[in-house]
Amino acid sequence: MSIEIKLDKRIASVEILKQFENLLEIKVDDKIYQIDLMHNDEGIFSILANGRSYNIELVPQPKPKHYTAYTLYDSYDLEVIDAEARYLRNRTGSAQMLSVNTIMSPMPGKVVKIPVAVGDVVKKGDTLITISAMKMESEYKSPMDGIIAIIHVTEGCTVEANQILIEIE
Amino acid sequence: MKKITKILIANRGEIAIRIMRTCREMGISTVAVFSDADRTSMHVRYADEAYNIGPASSILSYLKSDKIIEVAKNCHADAIHPGYGFLSENAAFARECAENDIIFIGPSPEVIDQMGNKISARLTMIAAGVPVVPGTTESVKTEEEAIETIRQIGLPVMVKASAGGGGKGMRLITDQNEIASSVRSARSEALSSFGNDSVYIEKYISSPHHIEFQILGDQHGNVLHLFERECSVQRRHQKMLEETPSPLMTPELRLKMGGYAVEAARAVNYAGAGTIEFLVDNDLNFYFLEMNTRLQVEHPITERVTGIDLVKQQILVAEGHPLSFTQEQLKQTGHAIECRIYAEDSDNNFMPNPGKIHNITEPLGFGVRTDGYVYEGYEIPIHYDSMISKLIVWAENRTEAIERMKRALYEYKITGVKTSIKFLERIMDTPDFRSGNYDTNFIEKNKEILHSPSKCSELTEDMVIIATYIEYLDQLNISQTSKVMYPAKNRWKKYTYQKNFERL
Repeated sequence: MSIEIKLDKRIASVEILKQFENLLEIKVDDKIYQIDLMHNDEGIFSILANGRSYNIELVPQPKPKHYTAYTLYDSYDLEVIDAEARYLRNRTGSAQMLSVNTIMSPMPGKVVKIPVAVGDVVKKGDTLITISAMKMESEYKSPMDGIIAIIHVTEGCTVEANQILIEIE
Repeated sequence: MKKITKILIANRGEIAIRIMRTCREMGISTVAVFSDADRTSMHVRYADEAYNIGPASSILSYLKSDKIIEVAKNCHADAIHPGYGFLSENAAFARECAENDIIFIGPSPEVIDQMGNKISARLTMIAAGVPVVPGTTESVKTEEEAIETIRQIGLPVMVKASAGGGGKGMRLITDQNEIASSVRSARSEALSSFGNDSVYIEKYISSPHHIEFQILGDQHGNVLHLFERECSVQRRHQKMLEETPSPLMTPELRLKMGGYAVEAARAVNYAGAGTIEFLVDNDLNFYFLEMNTRLQVEHPITERVTGIDLVKQQILVAEGHPLSFTQEQLKQTGHAIECRIYAEDSDNNFMPNPGKIHNITEPLGFGVRTDGYVYEGYEIPIHYDSMISKLIVWAENRTEAIERMKRALYEYKITGVKTSIKFLERIMDTPDFRSGNYDTNFIEKNKEILHSPSKCSELTEDMVIIATYIEYLDQLNISQTSKVMYPAKNRWKKYTYQKNFERL
């Protein structure tokens, strides 16, 4: 079974070659590593490779097979692409275009203002919605010229991260 | 002299806990108040008593003075400590406390009024002989008046809301043609933010240093200062990092500025802890900026170099005690730096990043202090400030303090939300910061270094990929019996099990 892992923009294939308890021989793309790996149920990983120590924490995301990894100072978004994910990906490949004409919330917050209504003609760069989180207000602008098709939220309501707020035609 | 035995803390987050710590040391019982969004907040868990005061929105809870006073009366609290923000600089609240026979831990309502309005504060300082930034002494009412004043002062100028704060209602004008439109937008923003469209005009000092003096006064007319804090590292007019002593400071300048700070506080008969903020230019000219009539976020660095617990002093002063030390007895020992840890995405315009804390490891060791309030599994609410903790280090000298801060930031691990830790670590490595040669333009000037993509190796990436793979296989094994090879033997599994067992 071939498994690929997507790290930010990179897609790498991974394969375990040998294993003896915590000692693993593992192949990432064309590189082979001999590592000593320990982890626990809370997603804490300690990996020793060539004498170097790596401390990694994995936090599962709401979407299955999606993780955020934290190293000393960096964080990465990861996605496991197995046969099932690949199948779904191919099938919904065309739906990816959707994100171009939708406004999503990048973080949880509260809708302060929606200066547009369904049916309004908007230009690229027009402010469509203002979201407030932690005392800071951010304005989200239209990515394109178009007409407001659907508004999923109302002023004053609370939104989650990655929620679709407004769709434009 | 009235002994205080129970204090209600009209605040939340790290400052509420910081105040309660001192109360506990002084044998004073503590009362927390909390909004619906803060039932699980650490300050509720730490306090002796805790009462709900309303919905998540701070206007309906932490700013609701009548509700807070009612709680204080019902639980027989002698005093209310307002912390910083919320009701801390609200003269009406201080007055209400007095009317209900509750001690407000802070200066008198008259002083809050006098120093809270920026125009009257400027007038008070001019009268006391403290240098102020050249500008208007009264609010500017019409556009014509504004344009005439700006002609007199000369560009560049700053237009500021007289009731303002936090960078709202503020406009920098550098171009003749922008005057009318900038004055207009500053006034409309001031009206919508503070309900008052009066503005004043000040000469703009380009990339100044922001240096403030901690002052302490008692009810017997004694006022002294506890030296300076350098607060020039700012983003969006908000401080990110503070240190004391200031690398810019000379003993002569300290003597002079400290003298003026004391003078300024004496001019209003100041009692309690307060801060006089100055702008200092590269030629060491300094100007009064504003006074904060409360405890500051960055007060711990002053505590660290002077050895004085400022909250304890606030409580003693409120009880009516005279200060137990003199200016001559105060000394600055070593060097202290504070870093503010915000839940934010520093690489994405410092966008706030609320969420659930997955794991947290706080730094320890010699010379390290953390004032925070989040814990594992805690969900940071979206309604309040994004600061989750303050990391304060002390060392014998500045170089050692920077190294210690780097080490402490390295140890500080918070997962689940993005934080400013990485950004702060880059500040520690920026040559301008290391040499102490920086002003309020620091972040803008060094953005190339501060926002450079992390030079993370492919090796680390590969290790992250391996960890994800193992985690994925683990999940697979739980849901189905498979022919996939088992991952590394999981010795830590037993440890977690045992840990959970011990929690029961």
